[in-house]
Amino acid sequence: MTIGTFILKNALRNKRRATLSILSVAVSLFLLTTLLVALRELTVPPEGEGAALRVIVRSKVSIANSLPARQRPIIERIPGVEAVSPFSWFGGQFKDEEATTFGQFAVDPRTFKKIFVEGKISPEAYQLFETDRQACIVGRITADKYKFKPGDRISLASTIYPVTLEFKIAGIYSGSVDDRNLFFNDKYLNESIGDPGEVGTWWIKVRSADDMPHVISAINHAFENTADEVRAESERAFQLSFISMMGNIKLFIGSICTVVVFTLILVAASTMSMAIRERFRELAVLKALGFRRRELFTFILAESFGLAMFGALLGVGGAYCLYTFGNIAHMTNGIFITSEVTPKILGAGFLVASSLGIISAIAPAIAVARMSVVNGLKTLD
Amino acid sequence: MALPITYNVRNVFIRWRATLATILGVALVVAVYVLIQSMAAGLEKSSQNTGDPRNVMIVRKGSTAESSSQVKREQFKLIEYLPGIALDAKGRPLVSGDVVVLITLPRRANAGEANVMLRGISPAGIALRPQVELVEGRWFTPGKREIVVSRRLAARFANFEVGGRFKTGGKELNVVGITDGHNTAFDSEIWMDADEARSVFDRENYSSVLVRSASPEAAKAIADRVESDKRLPLRAMLETEYYASQTMTAVPIRILGKFLAFAMSIGAVFAAMNTMYASVGSRTREIGTLRVLGYRRRAILVSFLIEGAFLAFLGGALGCLISLPMHGYAIGTFNMQSFSETVFQFRITPLLVVKGLVFSVIVGLVGSLLPAMRAARLPVISALKSV
Repeated sequence: MTIGTFILKNALRNKRRATLSILSVAVSLFLLTTLLVALRELTVPPEGEGAALRVIVRSKVSIANSLPARQRPIIERIPGVEAVSPFSWFGGQFKDEEATTFGQFAVDPRTFKKIFVEGKISPEAYQLFETDRQACIVGRITADKYKFKPGDRISLASTIYPVTLEFKIAGIYSGSVDDRNLFFNDKYLNESIGDPGEVGTWWIKVRSADDMPHVISAINHAFENTADEVRAESERAFQLSFISMMGNIKLFIGSICTVVVFTLILVAASTMSMAIRERFRELAVLKALGFRRRELFTFILAESFGLAMFGALLGVGGAYCLYTFGNIAHMTNGIFITSEVTPKILGAGFLVASSLGIISAIAPAIAVARMSVVNGLKTLD
Repeated sequence: MALPITYNVRNVFIRWRATLATILGVALVVAVYVLIQSMAAGLEKSSQNTGDPRNVMIVRKGSTAESSSQVKREQFKLIEYLPGIALDAKGRPLVSGDVVVLITLPRRANAGEANVMLRGISPAGIALRPQVELVEGRWFTPGKREIVVSRRLAARFANFEVGGRFKTGGKELNVVGITDGHNTAFDSEIWMDADEARSVFDRENYSSVLVRSASPEAAKAIADRVESDKRLPLRAMLETEYYASQTMTAVPIRILGKFLAFAMSIGAVFAAMNTMYASVGSRTREIGTLRVLGYRRRAILVSFLIEGAFLAFLGGALGCLISLPMHGYAIGTFNMQSFSETVFQFRITPLLVVKGLVFSVIVGLVGSLLPAMRAARLPVISALKSV
C-alpha cells in the first residue's frame, strides 16, 4: 500500500461522512459562486458592441425629468455626432401585470438602426418598423417569455404617460447584450399624448471613439444656462451611475459572501477534526511505528485538502456548467441575462476551497502533534 | 416510555466541541435569514407607517407613483371645493397640491450620486402630515427657494445641513431645516414650497393632491366622489392605502432572503447530520444499554430527533441574538417604485424571530432524522459489544 492509497482509503473509510463533507462544501461553494456571479451582473454592466460609441444625454436634474424635443437639431449639428434618437421610457404594463417587466422605449426608427448596431433583425422586419407607425420590435428574451411572434398585437398601459397603446410586432431582434427591450416609434407616442414636445433621454452615436470626449463636452456646453441643462455621458458611465444609485450593494453581497465562507470553514473544520479524533488510536499506532509528526500532518492535510477540492470541483464546477450552458435568462424570467462565471470567480472559488482544506487540517494536526503515544493508544472514543 | 429530555440536553453540552461548530453554523444561517427578512420588514413598515386615515391622495389614473403622475391646475381647483374637506383655523380647505420631482444629488464622502425625492407642498401640506416633525432650523418660507431635508437623508447626502446649499435645475436651493419623519416614507423626502418648486423645475402641473377630510368615513366618500367624477381622470385613495401599496421593493429582498436561507440550510443540514452521526457512532454501546434497559426503538428515535432539534434550536437562538444589534439600524436603497433613495431601518419583529427559530428546528430535525433512524435500528447485541 502506497502512501497515496493510504490517504485515499482513510478519506473514504467513512463514506457517509466523506460524502456529507464534500456535499456541504459543494453546496456552499455553489452558493458563493452564485453570489459572485450575481454581484458581477449587478455591478459590472454588460458592454454591448456599440456601447463604446454611444452617448446618453439626460436632464441634469435627474433621469426622471424630460428634455425638450427641440434640442435634437442642436445636438445633430455637433461635429462627430452620427445619429440621434429619442430614447423615452414608456413604463408600460402588459395585460394584468402589476409591474413593468421589460423595458419599452420610444425611439426614432430612422436613426435607431445606426445607434443600436448590435441588434440583429431581418431587413424586412425593420422596414416594417420604419414604415408602420404602430410597429415595434421586441427582444428575443421577452418574445420567448410571452410567446410573441411577428404580426401579434399587444397593448401596454403606460405608467409614465396617460395612455394605453396598441403595438404591432414587426419583428424580433437578438444579439444585443440585453435582448429584453421593446422599441417603438416615438411619433406614435407623441401623437397619442398630444405632442408635448418632450423626450426622456437622447441616445447618440458618435463617429469614432476619438470623437467621444469632445462630443460629450460640446453637448453639455450647448445647453448650459438654459432651462434644460443636460448631462451627457458615455453609455458605460451612464450605466455605472445607475448602479451607484442602488447604494452599497457590493458591501451587502460581500458581507453575505463572508458569512457563507465563514460558515463553510466552520462546518468543514469541525467535520475534519471529528474524522481525526475518531482515529486518534490509529494515529498513535502510526506514531509508535515511527512515523514523524510531519508525515502525520501530511496525511491529515492531504485528506482535508482532497475533500475540499473535490467539493470545490462539484460546487464551483457545477455552478460553472449551470451558468455557462444553462439558459439563465429563461430560468430567472429575464432578470439575469449574462450570468458569466469569469476566471476570477472560478479562481476565488478554488482559493476559498484550498484555504478551507488547509485551515481545517490545522486544529486536528496540532492535536495529533501534541498527543503522546501512550495517551493516544489509551483513547477509546 | 420516552427518554428524559435532560438526557438529550446533557449530551448536547457534553460533546460541546463537536456540537459548537454545528450550533454556530446554524446560527449564521438563521442570522442571515433574519437580517435579510428584517430589511424587507423595515421597508414595508416604513411604508405602512405612513399616512393619516383621514387623508385622501389623488393622482393621475394609471400612474403607479407620484413622480410620474400629473394633476392639472384646473383639476386641483375642482378638488379644492369638493364637499367634506376639513377646514383649517382660518376657514381655508386643508388641501395640498404637491409637486414631486426626482433630483440627482451627490452623496456624502464622494460615494456617487443618487435620486432624491423632492416634494413641493402647499402651505397646508405641513399640517396634513403630522408625522413629520421639525427637529432643527425652521420650515421653508413660501415663495423662497428654501428646503427642509429629513434627518435620515441628511446623513447620506452632501450639503444636507442647515445653511447648506446645492444647485439643481440651474437654481440654488438653501437648506433651512431638518425634519424627522419618525420611520415613515417621509424620511426619504425633502420638502419645499410647491409653487416655488413648479417654477424652479418648470412644471405646469401638480403631481398629486392630498386632501384632509373630517373623518376616515368622509375620506372614503371623497375618494369615491373623485373616482366617479367624469371631469376628473384621476385616481383617489386613502393616503394610508397608497403608501401600503408602495412595498414592491421589498419583494426581491424577501426572495433573496429565502433563497439564501434555503441554500445555506442545505449546508447546515449536512453539518447537523455529520454531528449527529458522530454522536450516534460514539454512543453505540450506550444505545445498546438503553435498549437492554427496555427503551423501545421509537423512544431512541424520538430522543435523537429531540437532541438534533435542540442542538439546532440553540443555533437558531444564537442566530437571532447575533442579528438583534442591527435592529433599528438605518440603511438606504434604491426604491424601484419611487425611483429614488429610500431610507429605512432593520426591523427584527417577534414574528421574524419565531420564524427563525422554527426554521432552525426544521434544520435540526431534517439533519438528525437519518442518524436517529440509524440509532433506532442498531441491533442490541452487537451494539453492546462495540468498543
